[in-house]
Amino acid sequence: MGEQDENAFEMRSSALFQDSVEGLDMRIRSRLTQARSAALEAAATRRPWAFFGGKMWTPAAGVTAAAILGVALWVGSPLRDHPVSSPEPQSSFEDLDLLAASDEGSPDAMEMLQDDIDFYDFADKTAISGPAA
Amino acid sequence: MARFDTLNTAWMVWDNPAPAPEGAVLEYTRELEKFLADIERRAFRMAQVALRDPDDALDVVQDAMIKLTRSYASRPSAEWRPLFYRILENGIRDVQRRRTVRRRVMSWLPGPKEDPDNEAQDPLENVADLAPTIPERLMQAQAMQRLEVSLRALPARQREAFMLRNFEGMDVADTASAMGCSEGSVKTHYSRAVHALRAQLGEVW
Repeated sequence: MGEQDENAFEMRSSALFQDSVEGLDMRIRSRLTQARSAALEAAATRRPWAFFGGKMWTPAAGVTAAAILGVALWVGSPLRDHPVSSPEPQSSFEDLDLLAASDEGSPDAMEMLQDDIDFYDFADKTAISGPAA
Repeated sequence: MARFDTLNTAWMVWDNPAPAPEGAVLEYTRELEKFLADIERRAFRMAQVALRDPDDALDVVQDAMIKLTRSYASRPSAEWRPLFYRILENGIRDVQRRRTVRRRVMSWLPGPKEDPDNEAQDPLENVADLAPTIPERLMQAQAMQRLEVSLRALPARQREAFMLRNFEGMDVADTASAMGCSEGSVKTHYSRAVHALRAQLGEVW
């Protein structure tokens, strides 16, 4: 394999490639022209912020937008103001009555709390030892 | 109300950005268009050699054009060609990676296996606009087809170096810039590519 052969190989491969480029069909040529137009159009209509370091600010803007959205959702969320919801309006009123009737530290409230603690204690023990026969 | 007006104005600018001075845009657009028109067919063929699929090749070329015009058009025009081919090669690699992932996923799924690389198996499908009645053209097309098959068998860096140097006619410095490596590496990749291709294609080719 001499240098002359190598040069001949390079010339032949280059010529074959150029022939294949010249022989591209009209469909491909047309689509390439469209692609070029689209690229030039994209360059002409790029967003104004891109001129002011848009790339650098894009992640920061994204994080800020996400934070604002998060705060807005939290502020507007029904969970924030109404942690317990009830499907029946009447039972909601009953709950309100109960809450209104018993302020913190009153014997009723303490009794309800104690009932809950007893129940969870019972449930825990049952789960560990199994149900009574 | 003043705040609303400001925001409204900002949205109007966002939706309809003000045009740059007409003369400057015209000259810059003409130069860019001339560059793209000069390069697009060769770029397409190089992408097609690497990817086999003409639609994928068109997509990759269009993406490269858009990225160049959006991000690097303000660079000196002498830098456009190496930059363009660097973007193009990255696009080609992305498509090849996606195909590899898709192939792996498909191999886990039941049913007929899809091989994206086999989409254009008809060897004459990718041969451009040949006239079968002319034996010489047919022989050239077949020789190019064999060259393409051999190029695909090369390591990516060797294929890239060969196509940029031989097909695109870039010098060593520009090729190194496009490939993101040293000029010495370009020479090594190119030399190995030529030897491998000659060994594969044989003396008859």
